This record gives sequence, C-alpha cells and structure tokens, in this order.
Amino acid sequence: MIEFKNVSFHYGGDNGTGEGVDNLDLTVRSGEVVVLCGASGCGKTTVTRLINGLAPHFFPGELEGEVWVDELCVSTAPLSETSRLVGSVFQNPKSQFFNVDSTGELVFGCENQGMAREEMRRRLDKTVEDMRLSALLGRNIFELSGGEKQQIACGSVYTAQPAVYVLDEPSSNLDKKAITRLHETIRRIKEAGKTIVVSEHRLYYLMDLADRFLYLDDGRIARSFTPDELRKLTDDELAALGLRCTDLHTVTRSPLIGEIPHGGKPAVETVDLSCNRGNHQILDIDRMSFPEHSIIAMIGDNGCGKSTLTESLCGVIPSSGSVAFNGTYLSDKERARRSYLVMQDVNRQLFSDSVIEEVMLNAPVSREEAERVLDSLGLKEQAQRHPASLSGGQKQRVAIASALCAGKEILFYDEPTSGLDRGGMERFGALLRQMQDKVTSVIITHDPELILQCCTHILHVENGRILGFYPLNDEGVQRMRWYFLSESGESTSKRREKLGMFGKVLQYAGQFKKFTYWAVAFMIVGALCSAVPYLGVYSLIDRLLKGGGVSLSAALPAILGVLIFGILYAVTYTVGLQLSHRAAYHTLENLRVSLQEKLERQPLGNVQELGTGAVKKLFTDDIESIELMLAHVIPEGIANLTVPAVILLVLVAVDWQMALLTVIMLLFGFAASRQMYAVGMDRMGSYFAASKRLNNTIIEFVSGMEVVRVFNREGESGRRFEEAVNGYRDFALAWYKVCWPWMALYGSLFSNVVLYSLPFGALMVVLGYLPLSRYALALCLSFAVGPMLLRTLSLIGAIPQVNFKIQALEKALDRPPLKCGAAAFEGTDHSVRFEQVRFAYKSDEVLKGVSFTAEEGQMTALVGESGSGKSTIARLLSHYYDVSAGEITIGGQSLRQMSLDALNREVAYVSQELFLFNKSILENIRVGKPDATDEEVKEAARKAQCEDFIMQLPQGYDTPAGLAGSKLSGGQRQRIAFARVLLKDAPIIVLDEATAFIDPENEQKMNAAIAGIIRNKTVLVIAHKLSSIVSADKIIVLREGKIAAQGRHGELLESSEDYRRLWTASEESRGWLLKGGESA
Amino acid sequence: MDFSLNGDDSKALVRFDPRTKLFIFLACGVTSLYTYSGLYILLFAGAVCGVLALSGKPWTALKGFLLFAVALYIKEAVDHAGSSASVVVLIVSVLTTIVLYSLPTILSILLIVQTTRISQFLSALTAMHLPIKAVIPIAMLFRFIPTVQDEWNGIRKAMAFRGISLSFGSVLRHPGKTIEYVLVPLLFSTIGVMEELAAAALARGMDIDVKRSSFEEVRLHAADYIVMLLFAGLSTTIVVLVTTKGAAGL
Repeated sequence: MIEFKNVSFHYGGDNGTGEGVDNLDLTVRSGEVVVLCGASGCGKTTVTRLINGLAPHFFPGELEGEVWVDELCVSTAPLSETSRLVGSVFQNPKSQFFNVDSTGELVFGCENQGMAREEMRRRLDKTVEDMRLSALLGRNIFELSGGEKQQIACGSVYTAQPAVYVLDEPSSNLDKKAITRLHETIRRIKEAGKTIVVSEHRLYYLMDLADRFLYLDDGRIARSFTPDELRKLTDDELAALGLRCTDLHTVTRSPLIGEIPHGGKPAVETVDLSCNRGNHQILDIDRMSFPEHSIIAMIGDNGCGKSTLTESLCGVIPSSGSVAFNGTYLSDKERARRSYLVMQDVNRQLFSDSVIEEVMLNAPVSREEAERVLDSLGLKEQAQRHPASLSGGQKQRVAIASALCAGKEILFYDEPTSGLDRGGMERFGALLRQMQDKVTSVIITHDPELILQCCTHILHVENGRILGFYPLNDEGVQRMRWYFLSESGESTSKRREKLGMFGKVLQYAGQFKKFTYWAVAFMIVGALCSAVPYLGVYSLIDRLLKGGGVSLSAALPAILGVLIFGILYAVTYTVGLQLSHRAAYHTLENLRVSLQEKLERQPLGNVQELGTGAVKKLFTDDIESIELMLAHVIPEGIANLTVPAVILLVLVAVDWQMALLTVIMLLFGFAASRQMYAVGMDRMGSYFAASKRLNNTIIEFVSGMEVVRVFNREGESGRRFEEAVNGYRDFALAWYKVCWPWMALYGSLFSNVVLYSLPFGALMVVLGYLPLSRYALALCLSFAVGPMLLRTLSLIGAIPQVNFKIQALEKALDRPPLKCGAAAFEGTDHSVRFEQVRFAYKSDEVLKGVSFTAEEGQMTALVGESGSGKSTIARLLSHYYDVSAGEITIGGQSLRQMSLDALNREVAYVSQELFLFNKSILENIRVGKPDATDEEVKEAARKAQCEDFIMQLPQGYDTPAGLAGSKLSGGQRQRIAFARVLLKDAPIIVLDEATAFIDPENEQKMNAAIAGIIRNKTVLVIAHKLSSIVSADKIIVLREGKIAAQGRHGELLESSEDYRRLWTASEESRGWLLKGGESA
Repeated sequence: MDFSLNGDDSKALVRFDPRTKLFIFLACGVTSLYTYSGLYILLFAGAVCGVLALSGKPWTALKGFLLFAVALYIKEAVDHAGSSASVVVLIVSVLTTIVLYSLPTILSILLIVQTTRISQFLSALTAMHLPIKAVIPIAMLFRFIPTVQDEWNGIRKAMAFRGISLSFGSVLRHPGKTIEYVLVPLLFSTIGVMEELAAAALARGMDIDVKRSSFEEVRLHAADYIVMLLFAGLSTTIVVLVTTKGAAGL
C-alpha cells in the first residue's frame, strides 16, 4: 500500500527549478495498478520519485507531508531502506544497468541486500522462468536491444521481489515488439499481486492492465479515470487533456497532411546499396527512391538496420552502392555535408556555448537569417542561452535550426518523439509539415501517432531489406496500423557473432578442419625447405670470399643439400596442397548441402526474388571462391608469412640494420595492401551487384530466346544484355581503378626486397661496418624471402573479393525461413479457414484481410479479375509463402504448426503450369505418390482420362517426358496433373485455373476427371469460366484483395454487382468461342 | 581493443579470483621498473601470458608473448652488434624498451578487464574488506569506459554532419576549438548518463549498510595461491638480482 499524506515537493538545490507537486493526497491499495498520465512537466515523474525515495534523497528539494509505503515512511527513511520495498524501472534503458553482463544485473539488487547465494539462485531461476528471460542470460547488455534492456531492468527488479513497482515512462524508447513484451511483463507482475505505479505517455498498451488512471495537471491530481471512462473519451477530449490515444485502432490520419507527393525528381535515390559492419553484411537494397517534399516514416523492428540505412544514406559510415540526392550522385563526404541526422540523444550534437552560435557554426548564413530561422522554430527568446540549459524539445529544435541554417537538403530524425507527450508530438508533426516545401524529412520512428500526424510515405525495413515502400493513403494507413497491432514474432535478438572471415570459413569446414591444419604444417616445413638451398649457396660464396678455391668435392655437400632440400620442398608442398584441397572440396560439399537445405525452407517468393542467375551464382561461383580461401589463402598464406618472419629474425642476428631496412620496406608494402583491402571492400558492393545483374540477364536472355525470336525483339533484348555487360565492365574497371595503384605499390615493394638492402649493405661494407661474408648471408636470406612474399602477394588481391562473397552468401540466406512446425496433421476435419489473412508481396499488399471457410465435402470457388488475389490464396494454402498477418487453419490446426510434409499429405495443388520432370510419363505421374505400383499409376491415369492419349505416344507410358512434352496439348498436360493428384489422394484439393486450357472436345472428359478427384473432398477452385462453377456450394468473389461477396450462384447474380459483371464477361467470351467454332 | 568489461570467462580453463589478477597487475607494475633484459623477464612475461591463456584468451596471450619475445630478441641483437650509427641504435633500443617495459602491465590490465565481470570485481573488492564507499567509485570507473566509448561514437558522427573535421591537420590548426567540440558534448552526455546511472544504482540499494553478498562464487583456490606465489617469487628474484648485481648481472 502507498499513501501520500498531503505531500508537496519542489525541486531545490543547485539545479533546482522550483517545479514540483502540490498537496497530493493519494492511496494506492496493494495489488493495484495505477497509471499516472498528463502532459510533460505535470509532475508524473516527481510522484514516482517520491515513492522510490529519490526525491528528496537524490534530487534535493523542499518536502512537506509524508509518503508511506506499507510501514515505512520513505520520505524520511534512507534510500537503502526504501530500496528493499520499492523497485524502480526508469525511462532510459541504456543508463539503468550497473553491470555489463545480464546475469550479474539480474541479481544485483539481491547482492546489495546481502542475500544468501542459494536464495539468489532460486529467485533468479524463478525470474527467468516467469519472465521468459533464458535467451538473455549471460549476455553483454551493450549488445541487447532497448526492449531487451528494459526486460532485464524489469527482471532485475522482479528478482529482488519488492512489494511496490515504480515504472517511469518505461515504454518511451521501445519499439512495438518491446512494448508487447513490456505489457506481458507488467501483466505477470500484476498477477503476482504486486502494487504497480506507472508514469506514462503511451496509454494504449496499459488499458487492459490498469485499475485507475490519475490525470495530473500542474502538480496536482486533477482527475481520476477508470479504464472504461478513459476509453469513452473522444479524441478531441483526449487532445484537450494533452493525452495520447487509448486505442491504436481508432487513430486516424490527420487531415492536415497535404497531398501525397509523387513523381518529380527523387530527393533520395539509391542503387545497390549495401553496408558491412565488422564481418557482416547489414544492408542489401537494390533500388529505393524517396519523392521530393515527402515526409517518410521509416518503420521496422529494432535491429533491422534502420540506423545503418540512415547512416549509410548520410554518408557517415562507409557503404557501397550509389546514392543520389536531388538527382545527383554524391560521395560519402558530400552527402554528410548535405544531410543531417537529429539524433535521439541530442546532447551529443550541441557543440557551442549559446544557441545563436550553435546554429551559425560552420553555416553560411548571416546573423539576421539565423535569427529568422530561430524565430520560425519558436526559439527567439532562447538565442543567448546555453544549449545545455534548454529542455529536451528545445534542444531538438536547436539541432533542427542548425541543420536549416547549414542549408541541408535531407533531414533524418532518430525517434524524435520518444518520451514526448501529445502536445510535443503534435508540435513536432506540425513543424515537419511546415518545413515540407524546404526539405525532405525521413523519420525513424516507433510512434504510429506521429506517423499519422505528418508522414506521407512509409518505408518498412526488415532485416536490412526494404519490405515495402508505400504512400500513406487510406490503404497505407490500414497496412501501417496492422504492422503496429500485429503480434510480434521471435522475441530475442541474436547473439552477436565475432567470427572473422577465416573463422567463418573454418566453421563450414567442420571435421575437415584438421586437414587444413596439417596442410599448414606441411607447407611451413616446405617453405623452410625452400629457404635452405640459399644457405647452401651462401656456404659456397663464403668459402670463395675467405680466399679458398672451391673444389667439386668440397662443394659436394652443399650441392647435395641444395638438391635434397629442393626435393623435400617439392614433396612437402605438394602434400600440403593435396591436404588443403581435400579439406576445401569437402567443405564446399558441406556448404552446398547446407545451402540447399536452407533454400528449401525458404518461402518460394524469396527464391524467385533472388533470381535463377543469382542462385546459380551462389551455388557455383560464390561457393567456389571459398576453395581459394581454404586451399590456398589460409595454408599458403600462413606458411609464406611465418617463414619469412622467421628468416627476418635470423637476419636480425646477422645484421639488424639490414633487417630493419627490409622490415621498413615490407611494412610499407603491408600498409599498401591494407589500404587496397579497405578501398576494395568499399567498392566491392557495386561491383558485386553488377556481376549479379549480369548473371541474371544472361540467364534471362537464354531462356527467353524463343519468345524474343518469335516476336522479333532481338534489338530490345540485346540492348538489355549489352547494358548489363557494359555495367559490369564499368564497375569492374572502377574497382580496379581504385585498387591498382595500391596493388602496383605493394607489388613493387614486396618483389624487390633486395633492391633496398643491396646498395645500403654495400655502403656499410665499404664503410667497414659490415663484414663481407655477413653481407653475402644477408643477401642470400633476402633472396630466400622473395619468392614466398611474391606468392603471398598473389593471394592478397583475392582476399577482399572472397570476404565479400562469403558475407553476401550469408546475407542471401539470412532471410527468415518459412514458419512451419514439426507437428503432424491433428485437425478435427478438413475444412479450411482463412481468418483476416493479409499478405504483402514487396510494396504491394495482395490480400487485405480475407476471411472465409471452405467446408469439408464441398466445392468452394474463388472468382475475380486477374490480380484480385485468387492464386495467392491457393499458394498461401499450400504454404508457399507465410501470411503477413492473420491465420490459416485446417480443421482448426494452424498451418504454421504443421510440418511441410504433413501439410503436403493433406493438400494437393494443381497449379496453372505443369512441370514435367525429365523422366518417363509413368514416373511423372508417380510423383504424386512415390511408392505407388505401376498398376496404381495406370489406374489413376485411366481415371483422369489420360490413358487414350498416352497410349498414342510412341512408347506409351515409357515415353520420356521431354519427347512427349511437345506433343501434349494444354488439356492433356492438365489431365496428367490430375492423374498425379488422383494418385496422391489428398483430402484437400486446390485447382488453380483448372479449366483454362480446355478445348470444347475435351471438356466432357475433363469434367469427368474432376468429378472423380473431388468426391468427398474439400475443394477450392479458382476459375475463369464461371459456367463450370455454377453448381459450387460457395462462390467467393474477390476484388482487389478483399472479399466483395460470397454465396451461391443464384444469390450472387442477384446481390453482387461484381459477380454479375464477371458472369456476363465470362458468358460473352463463351459465346464468342462457340461462334468461332461454328464458323470454322 | 575491447574494454567492454563483459568479462567472458566461458572458455577459461582456470577461473582465477579477481584478487589474483589484481596481484598480477601489481607484480607487473613493480617488475617493469626493473626491466632491462634477460631470461627472467621473459619468464615473467611468459607467466603473465600463461595466466591470460588459462583465463580463456589464448590468442591474445600468444600474440602478446610473441611480441615480447621478438622485442627482447631485437634488443639483444642490437646490443650485441654494438657498432654503427648511434641515433638509430638509440631509436631502436628506446622502442624495444618501451615494449618490454609496458607490455606485461598492459597484458595484466587486459587480464582484469577482459576476463572479469563487474559483479565479480565488486565481490572481490568487498572480500578485501574495502569499504563500500571506496568500492563504488572503482566499479563506476570501470562502467564509465564503455559509456564514453558509446558516446564518442555518436559524437564523431554528429561532428561529420556539422563539418567539424577531426583530421590531423585541422586538429593541429585549432587545437583549442577541437578540444572544445569534443569535450562539450562528451561531458554533457556522459554526465547525463552517469547521473541516471547513479540514481538507478541507489534506488536498487547500492549503499545498503549490510555486507554485500555475491551471486558468483569468488574465492581463492589453490591455483590462485600457486599463481600468487609464483609471481611473488619471480618479482622478488628480478628485483633482488637487479638491485644487487645491476642489470649486467642478468
């Protein structure tokens, strides 16, 4: 229980502002959830501080009255006493954890209380279980997302088991997923019977949890609402109180948003943008463009790459690809000069002593102009104040003012309204609208209310890719709203991997790693052996220098040594290469297998989006490049660098000055190769994208050749081909252009090690610093080093390419796989239900909330114009894609719980295209049920009315499909498909455009075949010819992704305008066909 | 370098007590004053690297040891050659001596920072009977490092937007301005973070008068005593040898 007895508090002390609360009388019963709401500065936070004792013990001020928590007067008791009773969660996730590891943080409070270890262990286990934190244990908190940090903060309070929880604006820095999690956490704490006081601006997520809402105004409790009373307030009443919405379903687009700009020249345009951080590719964006004068909301879950995208566009982090502002392609530096990012923590970007100086810093404006800009942002009064003394919102406006003064064209904002009340949020929205004709704004935000205040477009980012870019018209609002309202998926971020390029490759090698290690060992021995002959040469020279002649017998040991070590070198090096290749090719096998598995689990759309060319490139070229890595770069690179290093050390002993000179030269060489690596990596993205495009174009060119020739479009197709080739050439040349100076530099430095030591050593010999024989030895050693370095050299150039390919390989496969479970089919019957299914493919939303049921044993027909979403429904039911929202169930069981195998047994899908494998017709039908006997297959063929035409083929059932394929008519092919389905005998049949190919003579046979298939099954038919579905049990009319009407034929003819139109069109085309038939 | 203080000891073979690590740090500090040359100092560096390797950082340890050994080798080679231009000799010996001088200490700091968690560190300090008023500032200091790193990353980007260059040339031309542009935002934002942090820590009972307990077991094991004895012995030997016989005696 919490009791305020006539409490007044005003901040005092050095930084006191005198603000505070007055005459509070308040009782919060045990187990109650109370939400404090009101505009910024109303005293919400002060109330929470009075409960956890931070006011007056940490924030000094004048206090009258007393605050009691249970039996403790927290106003007088020391903080340490209060901390046992009251647990606090604060607004800013980044500044409330003391430890760096999450486990340590969870038990921090208990440790402070001096609790026994066993008790802490018990409580920790309980917290982890109750709060579902197991995935977050033992993590570095700096790596966690804001939402996860907030979870840890709640969890650590929960572990200490206080009676009262105080949460001060816990949701302000959270995304939608994290808010869902926070909601869940608060619910659990409430269930445990604890008292909770939350101070909050966002109210919608607390509506079902709170018992009471206290509205504070100017330091006093002005009103008290029950959730129901609050819900009943209209938007205008809420606005008058300065409160945010209570239900996201009801927020609407502000009428103040002007016309949505489209066309014109794009403000921002990118081609093939990619960005790597550490050894991971974060972004993978083909094309994107923002219209001029638009206000774009960038949405997406935390950690999806929004910040990386923003910073890449601004040019403050290196990225590859081309970015244009207002039609001109610009370099990183120029983009940083012409854009501006208002950061979430705006303190970081205020540099000067006064506001006016701040806005004029490095800006080409006169004082008057600067003052005018300040005036327009309502900062005129503050011009002479120190930026640090301003409020959060004012600081933000100062940052915006400085951007305007510097003439920036594109402004980015990172969560500008986190922790703002309704007034602040609306003011910010108005400000953006006011600047709309001057600059283009891009806002990273998790705040749907702000989006509806001012934005014209939505950019939805997921996993470093653009999921959709759409205007915020009525449909856009719908789509955005369901993103914010939909259940969130996986709850935890991935552990950050710190594997380097070599580590990643070796990870794929698995058990073959040891071959690589052995290869390294052999090659080191080999490289050493290759150096020994030079010592033999030296021994001969040495003898000569000492004045003795060299007889053959005296030279024999040295010559033999040279010979033997030469052979040894050849042998060990060959063995090493053999081992490394064995490791490499086994690894490639592993890699291809795992790649194939991953590809199989992908939604079909993803695979198609990749393109055949890109997939082929992944499987062959990119994976092949790893061979170079494993077979050569790793073992040879290591051997050819260690041995020279050892030789150099020997050289130090011979003469350290010559060694020093060599080392300095080599260091220059390494610096140059490093530089090459850096610039090469930067440009690699564009180069790589061009080669991907070339690949796709070649494949399209070849596979489309037939069509191209028939329609005489060689010119057009050839032009595209030429463009792709030229593009590739240009990017490849551009890449070499930035790399070759460095390549040339390190090439000459490495290959001519002796060139520098020769004259220098000679000089030293002449000056008498160095004995001649040592000089000879040093030269021999230098000669030994040369070839090895040259070998290394040839490998260095390949490293950036290989590294980029590995990253691209990983990025290509990090798309989320299909969500499917492992369960068998457990549905009660075979009725199919769609519930509020939405599906978006890239920027287009194809299905917009479709709900219907197809009953068992009935025929349900889907009709509508092309593009209305009929085929999409069929594909979704076959689980080719995941739905974006909503649920598909079979007999009550969700599609997502079933394994693909189980689903496949239940659903048979006859698509528009029949794919014939390159096997006999018999085998092609057997695909429907691999263990069927020949007799069963033939029986199915007979039922599907296939037998007569199959028997007319040259070899009957054994005719190869390739040979037969060209002879089969559309109707015949379709009947083969029917035979497959008959054989499979699945309880749910989906016929897509089943009657599209049929010529009149076949129609009867066709209908007979269909009748055989669909008996006692759940049937979904997608038909163009409405005559064939007149008798369907249910007809669903689709229009633009929504259900326009449903019912039987007769009913629909009367009630549905859409259906009547479709019917007339279909009848007309039938009449036309019949007439055509008669006249022929 | 990673000073994140998320002491990751999951790969450690032996988990040494933070006190042992502090002791090693101390020993390194003392011994480095007597670093001239010789086998003992190599042995000493080897021991530091050995502990580092056992604590789960074998690669860092190996790299450190190789660097140390090479520096020592070069120094020996240069000393023995003895002839030639004195300026170059001077430069090379200064460079190698700096490495020999500081490397063990740096490695021991890495040992503390990269393999110890703040909670372990707090427990160890409490076990040493340091008053909590002394423990908190030390712990806060460690917590401060990643905070500054984080803030600095943000500020550098903010500077790029404002056309404030951090290139060598511009720093040289306006040293005062540059320091101001770096320090003003850095101070304001870190002060903000640290104040909130302090409030959060106090609200969770950081200064309770009860003796802190510790979730992670922090105790001196046999291995700790052995390592401490080893380092005590090595340091004393080096110090005694150098003081009695001079550097040449080693």
